[in-house]
Amino acid sequence: MAEPFRSWRLPAGADIHPDAWVMDDLELAVPTREEADRLLDQLEGAGAALRSIPARERARRLGAVGTRLADPQDPLHREALERLPAQAGLSLPVARELLDRMAPQWTPPALERLLHLEFPDPLVLDGFRPRARAGDRVRALGDPMALHVGAGNVAGVGVSSLLRSLLVGTPVLLKPGRGDVVLPILAADALGSTFPEASRALAVIYWPGKGGGALGSQGLARAGRVVVYGGMDTVQDFRSRLSPQTPLIAYHHRVSAAALGREVLEGEVARRTATAAARAVAAYDQQGCVSPHLFWVERGGAVSPESWARMLAQELEGVEALLPSLPTAEVSARVQAVRGEVELDAAMGTKTRLLAPPHAGWTVIYESEFAFEGVCGGRTARVQGVDDLEELFRHLPAVRGILQSVALACPEPRRSHVAERLVLAGAARITTLDRQPWPEPWWLHDGAGPLRALVRWAMDEGGEPPPPLGGDGPARSR
Amino acid sequence: MSRSPALKARGEELREEVLSFMASAPWNRTELGDAEVAFNELALRVFRYQAEAVPVYGRLVANRGVDPRELSDWRRIPPVAARAFRRFPLVAGGGGEEAAATFRTSGTTGGVEARGVHRVLDLSLYHASLLPGARRHLNPDNRALRSIILTPRPSARPDSSLIHMLGVLHREWSDGQGGFFADAEWRLDGPALLGALADAEASGASVFMAGTAFGYVHLLDLLAEAGSAYRLPPGSRLMETGGFKGRSREVARDTLYRRLGDALGIPVGRMVNEYGMTEMLSQFWETALVDPASGESEDPSDRSLVGPPWVRTRILDPYDLTEVEPGQVGLLQHLDLANLHSISAILTEDQGVEVEGGRFRVLGRRPGAEPRGCSLSMDELDQAWTTGDAGVSGG
Repeated sequence: MAEPFRSWRLPAGADIHPDAWVMDDLELAVPTREEADRLLDQLEGAGAALRSIPARERARRLGAVGTRLADPQDPLHREALERLPAQAGLSLPVARELLDRMAPQWTPPALERLLHLEFPDPLVLDGFRPRARAGDRVRALGDPMALHVGAGNVAGVGVSSLLRSLLVGTPVLLKPGRGDVVLPILAADALGSTFPEASRALAVIYWPGKGGGALGSQGLARAGRVVVYGGMDTVQDFRSRLSPQTPLIAYHHRVSAAALGREVLEGEVARRTATAAARAVAAYDQQGCVSPHLFWVERGGAVSPESWARMLAQELEGVEALLPSLPTAEVSARVQAVRGEVELDAAMGTKTRLLAPPHAGWTVIYESEFAFEGVCGGRTARVQGVDDLEELFRHLPAVRGILQSVALACPEPRRSHVAERLVLAGAARITTLDRQPWPEPWWLHDGAGPLRALVRWAMDEGGEPPPPLGGDGPARSR
Repeated sequence: MSRSPALKARGEELREEVLSFMASAPWNRTELGDAEVAFNELALRVFRYQAEAVPVYGRLVANRGVDPRELSDWRRIPPVAARAFRRFPLVAGGGGEEAAATFRTSGTTGGVEARGVHRVLDLSLYHASLLPGARRHLNPDNRALRSIILTPRPSARPDSSLIHMLGVLHREWSDGQGGFFADAEWRLDGPALLGALADAEASGASVFMAGTAFGYVHLLDLLAEAGSAYRLPPGSRLMETGGFKGRSREVARDTLYRRLGDALGIPVGRMVNEYGMTEMLSQFWETALVDPASGESEDPSDRSLVGPPWVRTRILDPYDLTEVEPGQVGLLQHLDLANLHSISAILTEDQGVEVEGGRFRVLGRRPGAEPRGCSLSMDELDQAWTTGDAGVSGG
């Protein structure tokens, strides 16, 4: 068996030597209460030096993470590809695609653009800035220290999360998800050699489950802000354990879908949507909250919803050769159970059809009507025929808060109309099938700005009084 | 819809044959001999009957291109996913005949509509399957026992197959005292329970303790709170079943057994795990009592389960449902002749590994195991529908 992977990185210069335990193929750090407190002291103590570097400069220097992980010649890139398949449960080609798509999001230009899009005047992160027409000055502040918790998340989530925190000047203790241990550790390594101020303000420590012993409880008690990615139960659990004055930023589990208008259901265009849909389903094996599971396909085009489902099945088979799936035993078991139900549906005389190979690599289920159910992962696509996309607007409000991204394929001007109705019905993001699994760094994650969610605002009203109301138009003289 | 008179008569005939097989087949797998051939033949006849009597199953079998008349090996009988009992009338007559009992799976991870439903037309098959296995594995000395059962009483939960089962065992074995010590919401009646334990300890009656893992965790909490511990009389035994399912904090099984041993005075070697499912009328048992020399006495994590001779278990590769090599982990698929009037071949979502002699070990999820991904799971969606709390508000 290979040497266990060390699933933790302490802040640079930390004089802490926690006991290490081995669980499966991971080496875990188990700090005592006293070590946990010293670790958190160190993180908090590193905040001033981190914030003394202007935000724009931080963005540039944090970008070393992306630069190194995106470079095929870099040892960190190579280590990522060596470790990711086993740790994230992905085939090598799927892991490579993930790294190729995500690492560029962590480079200097991407982080600078993120900073500017979130704060048109990034200097608000460095000090007070006058607010036009308000007669005051405002500034955005990070926290003395934050706890970020991934819960079994898609690889890459942890790196984005820790970079966001450091970018706003907040030292961070990251507990990555079980499938996302490798990249945050390598990100910490990348910063260690190039950005000591950030490296001293970052700890990555994996622990199994929600508790995390002394470090988990002390981290939770002392964090100025807690960010949680996880299931409904996990979010609920953190909510109940947090003090009322600690902000909780929760990214709970969600489902994504696609809606295809009848206009795109003909000839080559229909085939292209099926190709893009297959790639979106296959990306990191459909584990993300932005991964599409449901496909609402309108009747009335040249290609019927059932025919499109067959196209999607062909495309998924093609993608399988390119990006092999690697379902876990649990996922395969669920897929087999769902397939069994679908077979019985068909036996009951419904129009439901199972389009799947004998193995559990991918599954397409055709259903003749809308149903928001049966999300089982493992590259399972439910294609549901609808008479008109208008139908969705009746059903979707019932799942408000669960629906994440909808890839919408239909031409303008209808597209804008449908998009408007979809967001009113609760969708957080309207996108295309190509872009769906790969949101940009500055995406409004679950409906909020990714950096703006991590700051508090302060104001100083000691300057000039605001101009009188109504004075926003051109000045009039009498 | 109901079965034709001729089909009903076939069902009755098969019922007699299954009962006769149950009465005669040897439990020791190495002694099966002709019984193995008889099992195969009976299983195939039961399958042919089910393909006709359970209409939706018949169509499923036809859709798979399987001709029941041509099958010659029970391993080829198409299984149905246990999950499918939530939505489909998997019973002879397609739900058009009166059931003697309707058992439902616990609703802790799904809404009422999402609960598995097992309509049982004939309870005599259930009891004929249950009693020999329970006697062999829990009461091989066949003596009167004082039941102390940590579940609601059967009248409070008539749709629970577990509680029905415990009701039958209580009726069969009871020394006239003891009984059920939880209310309909599974809350333990502390004073009555502690009183019953004290009585049993004082009177010297051998106790049959039964409950779920989470029931025992609650019992331990109760005992800790009361500062009580007991030395139940020698000859006492304990049955534990089921998981935690969010009803209590999770405790590793060896820890649970050890602490129960300390608190009740029942040796760990006299604690027996039962593995059953609502969708199946037969049960699987650990053999600590019937076979104390099997090396199963102390460490519960090393133990394995055995089913009755009218049940077979296959271990399948979850990826393609082919049989795994001996010793490999896979999905458990059972074939249970006691399920005569529903579906015998059932594919579970439980993982396990065969040990030897038809025994297997169920591999539970590690406590604290995390699901991969941030996509909403089916269970979470069920939960959201049930509670109406679809929108856990995020930041």
